[in-house]
Amino acid sequence: MLEPVGCLAEFPAGPFHEIAVRLFGRKGKASKSASRSYWHLLNLIEAAGKPLDSEQKSIVQALEIDAAARASVYEDVLPALGELKVMGIQLLIASSLSRAAVGRFLEQRSLAGFFSGVWNRDSASGIKTFPLLRAVSESGLQPKNTIFLTDSAEGLKVARSAGVNPILMMNDPDEAMRLAAHDPAGGIVSMHELPDFVRLVKAQNQQRS
Amino acid sequence: MKKISIYRPSTVDQAMQILSQHGTSASVYAGGTDLLIRLKNRLQQAPTYLVDIKKIDNLRYIKEDGQGGVEIGAATKLAELADSRLLQERYPMLVEAIGKISSPELRNASTIAGDLLQEVWCQYLRGGYSCWRNGGYMCYGAIGDNSYYHSAMGGRLCYAVYPGDAATALIPFDARAKLATPQGPKELLIEQLVPGDMLVDGKIQSHVVRFNEILTSVVIPAPKPGLRASFEKLRPRGVWDFAMASLALSLQLRDKTIDDARVVFGGIAGKPLRERAVENFLKGKILNGELGEQAISVALANAAPLKYNATKIDMAKGLLASGLARLNA
Repeated sequence: MLEPVGCLAEFPAGPFHEIAVRLFGRKGKASKSASRSYWHLLNLIEAAGKPLDSEQKSIVQALEIDAAARASVYEDVLPALGELKVMGIQLLIASSLSRAAVGRFLEQRSLAGFFSGVWNRDSASGIKTFPLLRAVSESGLQPKNTIFLTDSAEGLKVARSAGVNPILMMNDPDEAMRLAAHDPAGGIVSMHELPDFVRLVKAQNQQRS
Repeated sequence: MKKISIYRPSTVDQAMQILSQHGTSASVYAGGTDLLIRLKNRLQQAPTYLVDIKKIDNLRYIKEDGQGGVEIGAATKLAELADSRLLQERYPMLVEAIGKISSPELRNASTIAGDLLQEVWCQYLRGGYSCWRNGGYMCYGAIGDNSYYHSAMGGRLCYAVYPGDAATALIPFDARAKLATPQGPKELLIEQLVPGDMLVDGKIQSHVVRFNEILTSVVIPAPKPGLRASFEKLRPRGVWDFAMASLALSLQLRDKTIDDARVVFGGIAGKPLRERAVENFLKGKILNGELGEQAISVALANAAPLKYNATKIDMAKGLLASGLARLNA
């Protein structure tokens, strides 16, 4: 399972920060890290404890679509997804972005065909663990055989809560070293390592059986 | 240190049977300068069953192979290679490289096969971190201190550099490794023996030797007339340490014309790195004082340094220039 923000593409941090400013009165400068801004925003939405009203929803959606439209897909993503698909690995999107933002992101980059399921906060009726739990249950996945790629502490926590294996995308070395203390099940430097990661785990499972 | 069992077979066939019986939890034991340290450091990946091959006859020798080359038994000590008159006469560059491995004490214990097949010396692995090579699924070297022992040329899950000098120095001679396997003997070029991070028997390792195979000897073909070679190594300390960058260079010369070249960098990648772009550049050129500067302009174009090790690439290029200058002297 993949969260597009920080795993598949470099999103701009600005739109997520702006949502936090406009909806929750957040002060201060935007983080340079889109992931940090994104997951912080999700925490704010969760802490608000009530659903967004229609005006808030439209603000969030418009800015998320803007972020998705400006996201720059990492160069190793397309070859890695292609290789994983050939290997027969089931790929799913599990994101807390809106349906429209995820759809815009996948279609604009011709990525939709790689994924057998796309779960977002609208289809999963919630953020953070909700898309992961729906993806697991609706796709008949075994959580112990499922990984969730994320580049944030919150993402690692969410994956653990959903019972799947959190894998750290080590985009920034210093940040990754800090996040390694959050005990991820594994970590990759680049998406191009994911096929080898899967091959190694498969070979180890065969050795054990 | 965990409890271990040691077998002392008297033949290679017996050793292979024991290795086959215990799978990946067994390992060949000879010099012990790598293996015993992994055990003492309580690495999860360290074996439980040691197959001591020191009592096996005919694994410790240096002899002519009848075709002008030299064959070296797998259990031959590095110190014996460094002291060998035969090797000094035929392959002085190899002897120089061996003399720069670690310290005299360790060369007295280490074997040529152990040097070729040694585990990486990443400080995170050796410190017991749960990394790709130690039961985990992450490379701490890629994100931590990678100044010394990590690749500046990219990686495949693990980013540690291949640490051996012998392989780097043997590749320019087109040396081959002989292996005993349950399916019969096989031979590989040294370059094929240590191709870098490989998924073998459910593990990441630098070499392709399977759990039930044994490296039995190394064969170095006869050097052709006109071959000149050099080995240079930069390391944090003058002895004992591993290469931050090294270079084994050989030129097949006809007068001053380079008919063929081998350029092999050590200490900068997950394998001894043959730099074919430079080899091709050198072929047909006249060896002269300007060649070094020209050669480094085509060297290591695919460099992908980590956060703290870009200097390795500068070191490697410097070694290329100085190596060519040395052979031109």
